[in-house]
Amino acid sequence: MSAPETGNGKPSAPSARLMYLAVAAAAGLVLVGGAAFYVATLKSHHGDDASNIKVAVTSKSCEPNEISVPAGERTFEIANTSDRPVEWEILDGVMVVAERENIAPSFKQTLKVRLAPGDYEVTCGLLSNPRGTLHVVPSEEANAAPTHATMRSFLGPLSEYKFYLGRQSSAAVRTAKDLADAIHAGDLAKAQALYVVARQPYKRIEPVVYRFSDLQNSIDPVADYFEKREADPAFVGYHRIERGLFVSKSLDGLAPVADRLVGDLATLDERLKAMKMTPGILIDSAGNFATQLSRDRLPADKSRNAQGDLSDIEANLDGLGKIVGLLRPVVKPVDPALAQRIDTTLSETENAVAEHKTGIDGAAPDAPDRPGQRKNLVAAFTNLADALNQLPSAIGIDSNGT
Amino acid sequence: MKPHFLAATALAAALGYAGMAYAEDEDSKLVEPLAAYKSYVADHTEKLLENTTKFTAAVNAGDIAKAKALFAPTRMDYESIEPIAELFSDLDHTIDSRADDFEGKEKDPKFSGFHRIEYGLWTENSTKGLEPYATQLLADVKDLNHRIENLTFPPETVVGGAAALMEEVAATKISGEEDRYSHTDLWDFKANFDGSKKIYDLVKPLIEKDNADFVKKVDENFKVVDDTLAKYKTADGYELYDKLSDEDRKVLAAKVNVLATELSTLRGKLGLN
Amino acid sequence: MAHDPEAATDKPSALAADRRKLLLGLGIAAGGALVSSLVSERSLAVEDKTAERQVTDAPSSNRADVEQRVPFYGVHQAGIVTPRPANGMVVAFDVIADTPADFDKMLRKLTERIVFLTQGGQPPSLDRKLPPADSGILGPEVFSDNLTITVGLGDSIFENRPWLKHLKPKCLQKMTQFTNDALVAELCHGDLSLQFCANSADTNIHALRDILKNLPEYLVPRWKQEGNVPTILPDSDGHVQSARNFLGFRDGSANPHSSNEALMDEIVWVGQGDGEPEWAIGGTYQAVRIIRNFVERWDRTPLGEQERIFGRRKMSGAPMDGKTENDAPDYAKDPDGKVTRLDAHIRLANPRTPETQKNLILRRPFNYSNGVTKNGQLDQGLLFIVYQADLDRGFIAVQTRLSGEPLEEYIKPIGGGYFYVLPGARESGDYLGRKLAEAAAAGPPT
Repeated sequence: MSAPETGNGKPSAPSARLMYLAVAAAAGLVLVGGAAFYVATLKSHHGDDASNIKVAVTSKSCEPNEISVPAGERTFEIANTSDRPVEWEILDGVMVVAERENIAPSFKQTLKVRLAPGDYEVTCGLLSNPRGTLHVVPSEEANAAPTHATMRSFLGPLSEYKFYLGRQSSAAVRTAKDLADAIHAGDLAKAQALYVVARQPYKRIEPVVYRFSDLQNSIDPVADYFEKREADPAFVGYHRIERGLFVSKSLDGLAPVADRLVGDLATLDERLKAMKMTPGILIDSAGNFATQLSRDRLPADKSRNAQGDLSDIEANLDGLGKIVGLLRPVVKPVDPALAQRIDTTLSETENAVAEHKTGIDGAAPDAPDRPGQRKNLVAAFTNLADALNQLPSAIGIDSNGT
Repeated sequence: MKPHFLAATALAAALGYAGMAYAEDEDSKLVEPLAAYKSYVADHTEKLLENTTKFTAAVNAGDIAKAKALFAPTRMDYESIEPIAELFSDLDHTIDSRADDFEGKEKDPKFSGFHRIEYGLWTENSTKGLEPYATQLLADVKDLNHRIENLTFPPETVVGGAAALMEEVAATKISGEEDRYSHTDLWDFKANFDGSKKIYDLVKPLIEKDNADFVKKVDENFKVVDDTLAKYKTADGYELYDKLSDEDRKVLAAKVNVLATELSTLRGKLGLN
Repeated sequence: MAHDPEAATDKPSALAADRRKLLLGLGIAAGGALVSSLVSERSLAVEDKTAERQVTDAPSSNRADVEQRVPFYGVHQAGIVTPRPANGMVVAFDVIADTPADFDKMLRKLTERIVFLTQGGQPPSLDRKLPPADSGILGPEVFSDNLTITVGLGDSIFENRPWLKHLKPKCLQKMTQFTNDALVAELCHGDLSLQFCANSADTNIHALRDILKNLPEYLVPRWKQEGNVPTILPDSDGHVQSARNFLGFRDGSANPHSSNEALMDEIVWVGQGDGEPEWAIGGTYQAVRIIRNFVERWDRTPLGEQERIFGRRKMSGAPMDGKTENDAPDYAKDPDGKVTRLDAHIRLANPRTPETQKNLILRRPFNYSNGVTKNGQLDQGLLFIVYQADLDRGFIAVQTRLSGEPLEEYIKPIGGGYFYVLPGARESGDYLGRKLAEAAAAGPPT
């Protein structure tokens, strides 16, 4: 695997070793200095590296493996000191609060997140590695009540999104069932055709569902995150099926994987139905997910078939478009310029995807990605992500005014 | 908008999917019922499309008996979601207008939709000349289905829909003027009541604690309506409207008015303007 | 005359009253009784104000009228011997009450609304997110405006309820068709009637809407007819004559005097000795008829013919052998109908013989005007309302006598019904029909 271009164009300048030392020093401070260190970070707010909470992900665990921060917006700096790409996630129970995916070896990435008081877990590299802990202690800035009027304007959009999530997750279960049936019937061609269809609903609601970390790890994990990669018995889900259908071109061993997928999607469907809807789901999800796409995923194509990859992107964009459409009436009165910018970047991204599709059409399903082909795509998603990331402050959800 | 007010919600939103404690807002309680109502409507529009496809196929095939049999059940899915369906006034006009809405009445070339076909099937006892209406109806229903799928339901319309359906019945249906050629009005009634009750049932958990009398009264009245209509249930639907006794018509009229009166407070009770 | 203070205080002269109306109509509140000496002084100001008024300014009323209040509590209901205000309305309802308990609840609720509406006050103000408690058509303050609401029960409410049937008043029956009637089913009968009477039509409408809004579970309207009586200039001696109907004749000329209590007890009110159920004492029978007038044809009928048909002079209202409206015709002197035709309306209605004294009834009609018929004729007529202690001896006997009268060519009864007007509610806490509800709850005698 080649080193990916970094999404945000900020490869870490220092050498890995130097970096490691810096992080280790910071980490030492954390461990020794405790709360005092964080009071200091709080006081120096933005952009200052010293205020970032630094974490190193080794091949075995996180260092430090236990972190304490005050509630509010915090920036984490994650350094990958292992020899393979890693993801770093903050988990609330099984829910992903925030994550960075695809951090290349020797690179560091930052993650900005607003945190409410409570105890969280963090993932550290391989899924089999022990998790770290994150304590978020109460702080002034996290204490405020939502406005009635604002919540009111979210009522329609949130209801509609809840409905949308339910519809799509039901469709995901249904289409996965069809796929599993084709696999059980031994019909490779049909299974290949159904795979692309079955991916769509899940990809549309991915901005939200990727946060269910346990399910995400069995529904849509990437082989790289497993110790034995593709050969790892824990490697299941869509990509495992995809590998069978498009790389091995064999249905061997796929039936139980497909059945499990159906079961996991059914669980997801139940969770979504029980999920509490809050404005943040709309405000944060689109920007976070677009960022993740442009920064982590698009540069590193995980898919093993070009058509499938493009379908994924289209479905993802569909899902983002849904959220944008729902937020439009909320954003427009407060920040018409941003509303316009989001609409523009969205349609530019749609155009970029369409162009990309033209380039791919006709190519063999397993044709390798041509270098540079994705540049426009990544740029479009980056612009979209930048625009969407303005939503929290425009809508008035970001107390820090950043 | 004041940024800091939403901070807690935002934080909770970022983290609170799994039910973390955060400042509970009255309005947020309505999200679930509203989403559930959209599901209800979406299910009905899908079924409406399915049944309209069959109904219009029967009309186009010249199968009068089958078309007549499918008319009333097909309409039910429209009638039950009328608060939403009628938001699209152009489609409501072409799908469900009555001859009275046109200067030339039944002979007016603009008279279309369900009731135009009803008029052909029952009064003219023929499918002759109905094909264009059937084709248009199916296209309109498809359009409606698509528009509803993409519509963010206005909360006031949904909650107000419970009373609106009763107002509809009270003002233009209790007289039996809706399905005047086929006299299948009781099917429509049933759908209207079900549609109203669905909305009420969805929001009931939010208000029953503080409005015990209201809930009791509305439940009782829906029950009487149900019981009254049940008397006219047949194997495959409902009796014709002229079978409805004067006594029962009066009872329905009174219950409709009570429900309209009571349900008119629903929006206010839920803090919606 | 206009400057005679005495004439102004008690019985205003025609001129004073005329000016008074003008003044009040133009927005100068004159308080209670008008002091006529002020009239000329005020006149100038009136003219100036007229020039300033805008088309959308409301026609003004006066405080004395809107605050006019008819007491609700009493032995009898109001609105029967109460002097008739300018506007009336009768609404008949189907009642939804399957049990004595429901029936009782309805009566209590109805009484509660009538007390509020007829006595006036401020409706409660509610959360703006809720429908308002009041229609608001009278503004923030609901004035009494001389409103009376009179409640009657029809034959069907008793007949269709086993627990009420045995309590039905003895004369109460379903209105049957007389020979000239062309009854329209939708305009006939009903379980319950409400007669609304007030100074302004809007007060009646407001009251009706209030009752519908507050009793939807019990009352389903069946038919409704509004009417009004023209206001009339008093004579030069202060005497006010009967109002004219839409045929141009005075209506009510020979009505018994409603201020004569003894007479009313005899003619109108059901008493102890009348053989009626105990609960019904203090009540009365109400007959309502919607009588269409063929006014175009009437207007094309020679005056002499019109007067012969009625048996009165059209302008004066005097009988054919009299000078003024109040003169009594002497039929004894005219046995062959040479002066007053034997089939003249007033002669058939009240032959003025000792035997027909028992047929006397108290009329309280209003004129109505509804629109245009399918045939392009005006839909106008008389909302005929009449009260009596015995329905058979009263209206039914009179109407039977009238059958075949020449007037029939010009009139067509199309709707109405018979109702038993409940006795009054005695005092605060009592409610209309309490005794009937109690008797119904007690069940039929075993």
